[in-house]
Amino acid sequence: MEKLLNEQVISQIKQTFEQLKEPVQILFFGSQDNCEYCADTRQLLEEVAAIDEKLSLGIYDLQADADMAAKFNVDKAPAIVIAARDGDQVIDFGIQYSGIPAGHEFGTLINDILLVSGRDSGLSEEVRDFLKNLEKPLHLQVFVTPT
Amino acid sequence: MAMENPGMIRAEGVEATEFPELANQFNVRGVPQTVINAGKGTVVGALPEKNLLAEIMRAVR
Repeated sequence: MEKLLNEQVISQIKQTFEQLKEPVQILFFGSQDNCEYCADTRQLLEEVAAIDEKLSLGIYDLQADADMAAKFNVDKAPAIVIAARDGDQVIDFGIQYSGIPAGHEFGTLINDILLVSGRDSGLSEEVRDFLKNLEKPLHLQVFVTPT
Repeated sequence: MAMENPGMIRAEGVEATEFPELANQFNVRGVPQTVINAGKGTVVGALPEKNLLAEIMRAVR
């Protein structure tokens, strides 16, 4: 299959990934059921994950791997979970993206990978304090478009 | 934000054109738009973290 990322983009990402610190586990959730962007999203993630050895990619199906989908709170396809990896352990940071990360959102994907790899949100103390002490569930859905 | 408390907080980026029903359900008119707890709160545009926090506090109260 033809590559989605050209040599120039790959070399840019390689440079950016020099900032990677700890291992990152990417989980892809596809579906056999009417999923227009699943194949492209999977291929894009395979190409990104191949760029640096700190990245691993797991491929799952929303229906066939329903237990994994439930574990990571995934209910759409394509969906991408960006989690931390520590040895054999995958640590969910609650970060996911639903849809194909194309255009502007490709940069968001790369940034999310760097964020999880650094294990640091970069938020102010005040915001961190509130979030750490939060005792009710909070679901933030940020709607975006690729352009 | 989710990283600070993953047991309680989930952050999801949603590609609005791929999931139009969800975008319509929450009256997404522009991007980025942040929907808090399925519509308990909403923030249009990219706000500084303190302003987003203020809306979150209002929504979870």
